[in-house]
Amino acid sequence: MKSVSLLQRILLVVALSLAVCFLIPVIWMLFVSVKTEGTPIKTLIDWFLPPYTFDNYANVLAKTPILRWMGNSLFIALIKTVLTVLFTSLAAFAISKLDFRYKHAIFLFFIAGLMIPGEATIIPLYAVVKEMDLLDSYLGIILPGIAAPLGVIILKSFFDGVPKELVESAKMDGGGSFKIYSHIALPLAKPALSSIAIFTFIGSWNNFLWPYLSITSEELYTLPVGIPTLLSNYTVDYVTPMTVNAIASIPVIIAFLLFEKQIVKGISFSGIKG
Amino acid sequence: MKSKKLIGDVKAVPFLLPFFVVYAWFTVYPMLKGLQMSLYQWTLIRQMDYIGFANYSAMFKDRQFWEALWNTTLFVLLSTPGMVVLALVLALFANMRTRFRTFLRSSFFLPSILSVSVISFLAIFMLQPYTGFVNSLLHLMGSKAEPFWLADRNLAWVSIIGVTLWWTVGFNMILYLASLQEIPDYLYEAGTIDGATDGQLFWNVTLPLLAPITRVILLLQIIASYKVFSQIWLITRGGPGTKTRPIIQYIYETGFKNNDLGYAATMSYALFVILLVLSFIQLKLRPKEEV
Repeated sequence: MKSVSLLQRILLVVALSLAVCFLIPVIWMLFVSVKTEGTPIKTLIDWFLPPYTFDNYANVLAKTPILRWMGNSLFIALIKTVLTVLFTSLAAFAISKLDFRYKHAIFLFFIAGLMIPGEATIIPLYAVVKEMDLLDSYLGIILPGIAAPLGVIILKSFFDGVPKELVESAKMDGGGSFKIYSHIALPLAKPALSSIAIFTFIGSWNNFLWPYLSITSEELYTLPVGIPTLLSNYTVDYVTPMTVNAIASIPVIIAFLLFEKQIVKGISFSGIKG
Repeated sequence: MKSKKLIGDVKAVPFLLPFFVVYAWFTVYPMLKGLQMSLYQWTLIRQMDYIGFANYSAMFKDRQFWEALWNTTLFVLLSTPGMVVLALVLALFANMRTRFRTFLRSSFFLPSILSVSVISFLAIFMLQPYTGFVNSLLHLMGSKAEPFWLADRNLAWVSIIGVTLWWTVGFNMILYLASLQEIPDYLYEAGTIDGATDGQLFWNVTLPLLAPITRVILLLQIIASYKVFSQIWLITRGGPGTKTRPIIQYIYETGFKNNDLGYAATMSYALFVILLVLSFIQLKLRPKEEV
């Protein structure tokens, strides 16, 4: 602890500068989004100087279906998250706590899916969803991917940690399997459930490839699919694109700042396990 | 005895069924369907002709396939070191005992939550020649150069790698951060008492204890990067020409633009095999107690 404090001060300055570098694109985006269209930009500083206006926001919100797309993204992400948590936890509970034949084989069959990357089966998936007549529908976007093997593995190891005595005594009290699942297993697995939920939600919210392939009607677009269709027309003007970007980002930035702790915890938790 | 077993089986069904149905339908079945498709001349209007392994032999002779595969590999080779080293550096910074801790952590992670479409268009506009933010910054620092970031092969790669690092390195940082926090303080205290410098502590305590998580990050990262598509598609469309086109984009274009789903499925299988090999390596390298 001699000359350490100087070194640490230097490190702190480096760290803070790096942090600012990470934020600059986002800050730039927010500033450009409130500039008046066509303001001349001579030097860097002009990007950030007033006058500011929120007309761009009003314009984009009024003239584009961006709010509808945001609603689609939110709706799809929520349903997907609920179904993923429900389906994976039910399956994991059965494998961990119920007695049935071929249990081990079924578990292996389920987790073998970890080896199958969604991106590599995207073409046959398209054919399958087309076969079922689910292309260009909410159901067609939601269903693929909700059977997540990783979720089953994480939750099974959590349920394995639930003491047998607890389950036995619940049985004695006349609780059926569903009651044990919902009243004992689920509450105890809360940290695992919430990290699976956070991952599923962020993953779905930002998913591009599958919605891009499977949706063709504009009113079903999710936000990531819709944004590029708005922006290809505006290559000279900076203000509209950055307003579109800002509108798409501000809700998630706010959500991130509110739930930062849980998100970080969720990621580190499943990262270590997975 | 038998009836008791049967009752157990019946009880398990409602728990297993929802997952089983969706999993079988949207994960396992497409997998098998892909194998079938790869043996056919298969178009969007479902005209099917069995052609055996013709798609496979065509793939081996397809220069565009090898170019796309090389581009993807190049992306993996160029991005992975940064994805690991920068993540570690950021984690070390974010783990410092300062009152800026939360600020550092949030700033490094914030880009990760933005949609790929947002970060791509942010990049396109920041990188525009003459008026873009990056070139303005270069001019401010006295450079006369006017790089066309997305029009030159090498600069396009630099842009894609840079954007990807900025966008996703936060995830790996958090994994490192979690590991750093699990290193007990007494190890550092003991080292300090023995007269070790900060540098020595880092090389002899911190780094070795981070080795397991580094292995996990490294392999997860390589597998994830082999699946790169969205940001390249949105930023450069695989261009200039096909110089940054990754394998998934070539698969997508073969299937949906050239209307050749059979050949696209064949290349998907090639990618699948590559990813499978990488996954196996990961499982083999992972210490047993972590499974």
